[in-house]
Amino acid sequence: MRHWTARACSLLRDCRRWTRQHPRLALAALLVIAAGFAAWRLTRPGAPFGPQDGTWLRVQINGDLYVGIDPSYPPFAEWTPEQIVGIEADLAREIGRRLGVETHILIMGYDSLYDALYTGGVDMLIAGLHPDSTLTHWVYYSQPYYDAGQVLVSPREEPISDMRALDGKTVAVEMASSGDAAAQRWARRLRALVIERYLLPQDAMRAVEEGQAAAALVDTVSARLYLPAHPRLVMAAETTVAEPYVIAMRRGNFRLTAHVEQALKAIKADGTLEGIIAHWLSG
Amino acid sequence: MMRLTRPVQRKALAHLARASGVLLVVSALAALRPAPPRVVLGPPHTVQTVNPTVCVHTRLTDEVDEWKIQRTLQMVREMGAATIVEFFPWPYAERERGSYDWAHAERIIRHAENQGLTVIARLGLVPAWARPPVREKVTTLTYLPAEHFDDFARYVGAFVARYGDRIGGVIIWNEPNLSYEWGDRSPDAVAYTELLRLSYQAAHAADPHIVVFGGALAPTNEPEGSGSGMNEVRFLERMYEAGAAPYFDALAAHTYGFTRSPADPPDAQTINFRRVELLRVVMVRYGDGAKPITITESGWSDDPRWTRAVRPGQRIAYTLEALDMVTAWPWADHLCLWQFRQPSDFHNRRDAYYALVSSDFFAKPIYEAVQAYVRGWENPYAP
Repeated sequence: MRHWTARACSLLRDCRRWTRQHPRLALAALLVIAAGFAAWRLTRPGAPFGPQDGTWLRVQINGDLYVGIDPSYPPFAEWTPEQIVGIEADLAREIGRRLGVETHILIMGYDSLYDALYTGGVDMLIAGLHPDSTLTHWVYYSQPYYDAGQVLVSPREEPISDMRALDGKTVAVEMASSGDAAAQRWARRLRALVIERYLLPQDAMRAVEEGQAAAALVDTVSARLYLPAHPRLVMAAETTVAEPYVIAMRRGNFRLTAHVEQALKAIKADGTLEGIIAHWLSG
Repeated sequence: MMRLTRPVQRKALAHLARASGVLLVVSALAALRPAPPRVVLGPPHTVQTVNPTVCVHTRLTDEVDEWKIQRTLQMVREMGAATIVEFFPWPYAERERGSYDWAHAERIIRHAENQGLTVIARLGLVPAWARPPVREKVTTLTYLPAEHFDDFARYVGAFVARYGDRIGGVIIWNEPNLSYEWGDRSPDAVAYTELLRLSYQAAHAADPHIVVFGGALAPTNEPEGSGSGMNEVRFLERMYEAGAAPYFDALAAHTYGFTRSPADPPDAQTINFRRVELLRVVMVRYGDGAKPITITESGWSDDPRWTRAVRPGQRIAYTLEALDMVTAWPWADHLCLWQFRQPSDFHNRRDAYYALVSSDFFAKPIYEAVQAYVRGWENPYAP
């Protein structure tokens, strides 16, 4: 350490000596560095000579925000005769409200979502999308607004929040579901895990209530819909298999993405998001 | 100019040389990559099956790693499906006009042959050079201007010339009766027939025995003139009216059951599995009943949230029932399940719940059930 400090001091002394001997060259080098820094600052996204976020300008001027939604995923998005309703529709409107603009929900099939975003048909997608690493060169994904993954449901008196605690016990799952597949993967890692299959996730959770299994591994939506009427059961705080839902926007819309992230953070922090989710998943 | 005799300058140069050396070593270390897994073809395999009707639509288009291509096709063979449908995008092969790169296609065909699988090649998408410049018009990858139909046909001809004797046929385009698949424009049966005619002629010029599939029509109730699509039965009628009959050897059709049982009777107003029978009626009416229909996409989703999905147990029961049904239809030769596996389950949530195998090669219960059916074993998920 002392050796490297001495070397650094020596280098510094050499530089100072060289600067005194060549003041003009030193000044020129300083000017080049300053010019480079100024060019970098002025051409950054949003700076006077940098790329602009046209979408954010339009959103501000026109006061509108176009959101693509696939209304075939209740309770996230559903098409009623009056309007599109659900968690995602409420979230889209809340984001618009926080940005001070009117949200226009455009309904589209799942397969058309990314094309609509790419061609500028919509400003963002809120449609149960997962972050896709193959699209991140042009798609920006927000922080998650919901985790629809597989979660353990167990008796309140003997709560289980980790699959490892099920070693030597029985887990109930819906036959052939993602929970079934996840339990099969865990069965390979644990010493002994018995998997009991039921036709529906509700049947799996009922089996836990009746003492036939130590826990059920079901999706969070089924669990949230089932639990209010069954207070003897409790859902683990963390999912065993995560399935995050995120908002997708164009990466080039750096102002819009920043404002939406800020709005989403605030919506989460003040409990609005949890209120929306609870409203639709109260059972 | 600096003079090297000065001690300060010599020292500065020494520092510079050391720094350059360190930079060089760091760059060399950063450039180091582990060697990709070595993939060996091994001895050729044959598919063991009691039902050659069973086929799967694979998704190897965006699979970069060769070992994953091999593992996917191994699992198809182990399941007992003898035929696959795979997509060979035009832009992948002809990135620059007139210059073909068959590396990706070659890998897939070679591995499929090695596993004893027959490939039905779906050809489509449009390279950037055949689409309007972005500054003029933003278009999707399915936007093919009429002036480039002959370029696409040339690609079909080149593909067939290379692989014609090693594959089970070529499907010309995908779901041309959907706007999404027709460059976000209203579907146009007359234009599609022209594309089919040019492609058929190019394919048969390259290999007179090649099977050219028309259509790959998607089930939809959208009326003619809709911005989203056109009813596939009407689209097929329009194709015949435009003179398509001589330009396809078999019809490729997609049929999905959604929430309905496969036994649900065909109905013009309902999207269900047996709706494909309505296409058969049109073919017979236009004197084309001798041609088979190949169902190149079908299946049920077990997405727990989608309104058009079923429960996983129902999915297994419906799929096996549908396979029985198609086996008994004399005019249908394959039922290809959508889809076997996709490179990333996060890429498309909708498709993830149609998959038989997860992206990390975990055989889902539906895979085991179909495998038991095709191999003549007992269904482990029988209700």
